[in-house]
Amino acid sequence: MSLEGHNITVAYDHRIAVADVTLSLKEGEITAIIGPNGAGKSTLLRTLNGQLSQSSGAVLLDGEPIERFNRRNISRRIAVVAQEAELRFPVTVLEFVLGGRFAWATHSGWGWETDRDLNVAESVLRETEMSSLSTRLMSELSGGERQRALMARALATEAPILLLDEPTANLDLSHQATLLSLVRARCDQHRAAALVVTHDINLASEFADNILLMKQGRTVNSGRPAEVLTPEILQDVFEIRVLVDAHPVTGGPRVTPVHEPIRVNRDRGSV
Amino acid sequence: MIYYGRSVRTLRNQFVWIAVVVCLALFSACNPGRTANVGPSREITDDAGRRVSIPAKVDRVVSLAPNLTEIVFAVGAGNRLVGRTSYCDYPPEAKAIAEVGDTIHPNLEPIIALKPQVVLVSTASQLEVFTQQLQGQNIAVFVTDPHDLEGVFRSIEQIGEIVGEKDRANQLVQKLRERTNAVEQAVKQKPPVRVFYQASGEPLYTAGRDSFVTDLMRRAGATSVTAGVPGAWPKYSNESALAARPEAIILPTGGSMGAANATVVEALRQSPAVLNGRVYKINDDHLARPGPRLVDGLEEMAHALHPDAFGR
Amino acid sequence: MNRVTLRKTIVACAVLAAALLLAIVLMSLLGSEPLPVRASLCALASFGTSPCGLTQDQFAILFQIRLPRILLAAAVGGSLATAGAGYQALLRNPLAEPYLLGISNGAAVGTMIALVFFGTIEWTRPILAFSGALVATFAVYRLARGRAGATPERLILAGVIVTTFLSSVIVFVTVLMDATRIRSFTFWLLGDLSGTSKALLPLTIVITIAGVLALTLHARSLNLLMLGERDAFDLGVEVGRVRIVVFLVASLLVGSSVAASGSVGYVGLVVPHLARLSLGSDNRISIPAAALGGALFVIVADTVARTIIAPRELPVGAITALIGAPLFIYLLKRA
Repeated sequence: MSLEGHNITVAYDHRIAVADVTLSLKEGEITAIIGPNGAGKSTLLRTLNGQLSQSSGAVLLDGEPIERFNRRNISRRIAVVAQEAELRFPVTVLEFVLGGRFAWATHSGWGWETDRDLNVAESVLRETEMSSLSTRLMSELSGGERQRALMARALATEAPILLLDEPTANLDLSHQATLLSLVRARCDQHRAAALVVTHDINLASEFADNILLMKQGRTVNSGRPAEVLTPEILQDVFEIRVLVDAHPVTGGPRVTPVHEPIRVNRDRGSV
Repeated sequence: MIYYGRSVRTLRNQFVWIAVVVCLALFSACNPGRTANVGPSREITDDAGRRVSIPAKVDRVVSLAPNLTEIVFAVGAGNRLVGRTSYCDYPPEAKAIAEVGDTIHPNLEPIIALKPQVVLVSTASQLEVFTQQLQGQNIAVFVTDPHDLEGVFRSIEQIGEIVGEKDRANQLVQKLRERTNAVEQAVKQKPPVRVFYQASGEPLYTAGRDSFVTDLMRRAGATSVTAGVPGAWPKYSNESALAARPEAIILPTGGSMGAANATVVEALRQSPAVLNGRVYKINDDHLARPGPRLVDGLEEMAHALHPDAFGR
Repeated sequence: MNRVTLRKTIVACAVLAAALLLAIVLMSLLGSEPLPVRASLCALASFGTSPCGLTQDQFAILFQIRLPRILLAAAVGGSLATAGAGYQALLRNPLAEPYLLGISNGAAVGTMIALVFFGTIEWTRPILAFSGALVATFAVYRLARGRAGATPERLILAGVIVTTFLSSVIVFVTVLMDATRIRSFTFWLLGDLSGTSKALLPLTIVITIAGVLALTLHARSLNLLMLGERDAFDLGVEVGRVRIVVFLVASLLVGSSVAASGSVGYVGLVVPHLARLSLGSDNRISIPAAALGGALFVIVADTVARTIIAPRELPVGAITALIGAPLFIYLLKRA
């Protein structure tokens, strides 16, 4: 299976959110999209799963234009992990995760979960270490647990393509790593392909096989982390001084922003 | 400083006196319930139990109900009527008079602008809130609320007294009484007919204990099957109407009501009244307006229910 | 709470259906005119084929007045509760209710137009009521569209605007009517089941059953929609299509109820809430349960309305409000 975007341009409200971006997700690999606010990262993700329509360019799912697929077929192939869940009604973790099986229901609006559905849900709960919480209400969970539930639901769809939109935004350090390890495991063991939109450059550096660096809707650079995460490129994109050294454990690029205090020199009258 | 303390105190005292005087003046001006029509006046007790102070000479009257308009004209004071509701359509001369709204929502401003001395009100229109506002404008408000024919006669006499046509009013009531007695005499020997009064159908409304129509039916030689139901115009249960098995049904329709209420409700289709063809349509204006024409309605009902008593 | 299974749903619905049947039988024994219990039960059991000793009048009361009225109450209650459940799931707000959203008032205006212009032609009422409900829905949705899309909060706000506007229209039309009609109209605006018409009753029942089925068949989609439109979309729900279906079906249900009986309030708010509270938020069980529960609720409320000051009657909407409002306050406090 494959998901590709060719020369994608997305414009709305007289703004160009994404301009001429091309990317292709590979089996077993994690691609991270990073960039400053307003770079169009989430817009690109939403275009790749068919929610937003591109103004020009093509999104190809398994080689076919994504417009040819109905919603259910797309959902069987692409799963999205969002930042957080809207929980206005009480729902248990198990019910929540079973929502991921909807795309596989034989009757679209009615129908009941099959044994297979339950098995998948249970195995996914084990994978995300949520088995003990399966009968708890989602609203009772902590932020990290809820994120794992969102991950579990996405995994329950058994979709080979995972799109994650800032999945670690609300998580503490330990949970951030756990989540991305799960994605890594999926890619390694099930040959899934993952696209992660994130603010966290170092997390991307550690887990991603490819990095797509965007600014103002355009691709600034793409490639292996070592190629993309250089001080010159990063300073140009983020307009801040950075230091890049080698991570002491992984050896990959470690990015440290330098916050220079602004010195005001009264005598000289200059900064 | 010395001058400061003393001067302020005097100033303050003066201010207090001024404030007191102003407040008294305001208070007296806002005092409600004073029907200060200047000049000689008399007091009449209306149907709401209020002692209303009315000027000795009344030549500007506003009527807020169709029956009251009819009464004013009937006692010969039509030329003193300066305001009516949009429903007041009888007699035809009434239509030339200025409208002040409808019975349910009369308009305060045109009424006040007409500078009436008395406003005649029917509680059938639920105007109690309204009457307080008019009283605040020194306009006398007279409430009528008859529950039977005698009450209607009394309304006519009282209104006659208000507009200074006492004699004509008494004459009118005399004639109406004669006609009423004639009807009652004629039907006295006949067994009363069990009647259901369908005020409106779907949903079903009828005349209850407190309605003057119930008294009217009694005098017309009928027993209303809903005579004991509390209220004036209760909403009635279909099954009770059916179970009552009325021998005749009165359908007030036509007149200002138009084509409404011209058919018997579904539930009564199998009643003896319908099966025997004893469904009588009578002009609603003769039955719903507690005024002189109520006696017309009485006669029409009696003639319909006991045709043989009148040589037909 | 455990997850909902087909078996759980069938059991819950069977229990409610049995309660409903019992209510229909029991409430038909109550009314402003006393009926002999044994004879009535016997006649009911024979489905009206044998009078079982009832007099002609008693038979007529039971089968031509009471039973049709009870069946109408069931249809109206089922429709309004189901419509309420549908709106609550779609708008992700437990407070979404046909009345609050202006849908009931839209249906009422439609019915009034039908009554004033096509008085005697009965089938114009549900049609115009449905149209009125749709127009109101459309108005609410357009008003609510903002930058962030039609969020539930904006929808409820827009609904309140539309409701109050349409209420003024209703008052305006009422004022234009003559005094005698106003009385009956005010009664109808509070809900009145006494005008059960032979022609409209079967249509109303059919619409109720069809509407409940249609919404239940989308229950699984609604489960996902309830947790966010975007997530539902991601998981495979055809959000646009389901939204249109729910709005159409709910408008139809509200329209047919209002055309038959005026505005009966609180049913669409309280009953689905109770259903979810006791059986869970899964719409596969809570929608059919709300339908059956709503039917029960209105049957009982109407029986109170027609017996408590017998032989006079109260509008059924007054009773549903009397029960519904405190219940609603209690539910709000628990939440």
